[in-house]
Amino acid sequence: MKKKGIRFYFTIITIRIASKLMKLMGKNATHLPGWIANKMCPNFLQYMEKPEKLFYITGTNGKTTVSNIIADALKLNGYDFVNNAEGSNLNSGIITALLPRTTNGGKSKCKLAIMEVDERYSPKIFPYMAPDYLVCTNLFRDSCKRNGHAEFIRDILDSQIPAHTKMILNGEDLISNHLAWGNDRTYFGINCEDGHSTPDNIIKDIVACPKCGSKLDFEYIRYHHIGKGNCPNCDFGSPELDYKVNAIDYDKGYCTVETPKGSYDLKLIGNNVTDIYNMITAVAILTEIGLSNEEIIKSFDVAKLEATRFASEMVCGKEVIMQLAKGQNPIACSRVCDFIRHEKGDKVILLVEDDYYAMKDSSENIQWIFDIDWEFLKDDSIKQIVIGGVRHKDFELRLLMAGIEPSKMVCCEHEVDVAKYADLSLGEKFYILYNVYTIDDANVVHDSLVELLKNGGNV
Amino acid sequence: MIIEVLYPEFCNLYAETSNTRYLQCCLPEAEFVFTEYNDEPAFLTKKVNLIYLGAMTEHSQEMIIKKLMQYKDRIIELIEEDVPILATGNALELFGEYIQNEDGSKVEALGIFNYWAKRDMMNRFNCLMMGKFEDMTILGFKTQFTFAYSDDFKYPFIDVEKGTGMNPDCNTEGVRYHNFYGTYLVGPFLVLNPHFTEYLLKKMGVDNPSLAFSDVIYEAYDRRLKEFINPETKYY
Repeated sequence: MKKKGIRFYFTIITIRIASKLMKLMGKNATHLPGWIANKMCPNFLQYMEKPEKLFYITGTNGKTTVSNIIADALKLNGYDFVNNAEGSNLNSGIITALLPRTTNGGKSKCKLAIMEVDERYSPKIFPYMAPDYLVCTNLFRDSCKRNGHAEFIRDILDSQIPAHTKMILNGEDLISNHLAWGNDRTYFGINCEDGHSTPDNIIKDIVACPKCGSKLDFEYIRYHHIGKGNCPNCDFGSPELDYKVNAIDYDKGYCTVETPKGSYDLKLIGNNVTDIYNMITAVAILTEIGLSNEEIIKSFDVAKLEATRFASEMVCGKEVIMQLAKGQNPIACSRVCDFIRHEKGDKVILLVEDDYYAMKDSSENIQWIFDIDWEFLKDDSIKQIVIGGVRHKDFELRLLMAGIEPSKMVCCEHEVDVAKYADLSLGEKFYILYNVYTIDDANVVHDSLVELLKNGGNV
Repeated sequence: MIIEVLYPEFCNLYAETSNTRYLQCCLPEAEFVFTEYNDEPAFLTKKVNLIYLGAMTEHSQEMIIKKLMQYKDRIIELIEEDVPILATGNALELFGEYIQNEDGSKVEALGIFNYWAKRDMMNRFNCLMMGKFEDMTILGFKTQFTFAYSDDFKYPFIDVEKGTGMNPDCNTEGVRYHNFYGTYLVGPFLVLNPHFTEYLLKKMGVDNPSLAFSDVIYEAYDRRLKEFINPETKYY
């Protein structure tokens, strides 16, 4: 923690007043106080005392879900902690989250902090408040406009991680599990058949050894580049797992995990292999925090995925599923396509995926649409795909390239209209796939669909 | 007809694999050769109708330059013989003189064309771009860490009408020499530009080319063109 000057004290008082005023006005003070703090006192974080034990959770996919599981488990078991679940995962969000648990003198009033961190923002966070533990769920290509490519993000993280930070890493991700190679580290992963392996994704972000350039030999691939691989010509390869899932029973809804503190069964939070990864990541973190096996088991007995990411309900005998498929993120969308094809029953898919911000005043960069494995929807169980929004012709073209029959597709100009075009007789399950920024439109679609189902197809 | 895709395991960023996947839809009878890093390129021993190279990471650029350097003379011959070559995204940089890092160090490139690229890894550049190539309006997106510079871009590909060319002070985009077409535009480039794709198919030797899903790809293009022409549309 850097020595403070008058500027710091003036700033902390100001942002406390600003936070209170915002709350009085009914505004969410989740980002702005931190933003103001940085404007008034650059790199404000460096003047705040670090909580005794500080975990950062980063990675391309899963960091929010893992952070939520951790927060729920800590609350359930009565731990005192601070996190940024209510705010942003940027430096301003971390300042905002820590502020109520920091004295006016900058001293920390909490022992444990669990902060989700945008991987791109590590240079604005790590040098000013270094983590004791860094968790990386995985690294994949993400929004090209922001993140470039996975190697770039790996290099950014690698340049920022302090030598004393303990790494908690995905043992089956050859990009992220070599981060901070000299640091103390522990690995999590799946050590058994997951039943949903997908070796045929379009995107594979690591295929060659970064040390010698040789093509990697993969013993297995679960999805994209996640799996177990080794270089045939040097020592680069997948590590042994410390926290591992040894068995998964989707029908009975549990998995068996093995940790350095023993083995036990956990209730599944979902049927997707990424849910299993999120679970074992959370198990590793909770164990490192110091929770007992019993406390962890109890936490998973009641754990649920956040409703804004996945929600399902039965309406007149049909299942309506709201499923987040993050726009600009081809990996997340491909995982959703893969998940849907493995679900039982006849399905209708409603796409509400246009980029809200690009739609407002620009033209969306569509490359991410073409990196998604839409081929997975070329399946007899997918009966209809309704595409809504200004980009519907681009989606239609990509789906045609994927071999989807034209007769299965319906396009419409306005995203909120997709429910009207859904053939209710075709599906047992109706998936509404939406973007982070189209959730309002997706809710309109959801309500229209539910109304149609209740009225037997009549509005 | 042979289409050679160079190093697809590396040159696959920004959905650029869709350029070849779309060509596969257009040319179902053609042979697509996917040459991996340790393979000998088909263009050394066979007559190829198109060589394609897509966007890649900076580390991959350096590896692939080393690999292609041994074939440099043959690549120059192929260009002079009018063999179509398409390089999209930062694949374009491999054919220039060098790539300069922020610290001033340089990665020597193939040196076939007289431009060089400058990396700025902490400042990613994104924009829309619209321009003219012959009578075609070319549309595309830029998403890159670099700009290219030259004392004299001798062989411009596209005259930029809106957006940024090879660098912020340059009003041309890419390189076109004989049938070599290099551009920073991604998107995927061929999917975004059906008129150019038809033109390229002709250059590849396809008589009366017909595009796959023609109605849909042209409708998507026309819709995008309207957006790009709209004065309200933000390019940055």
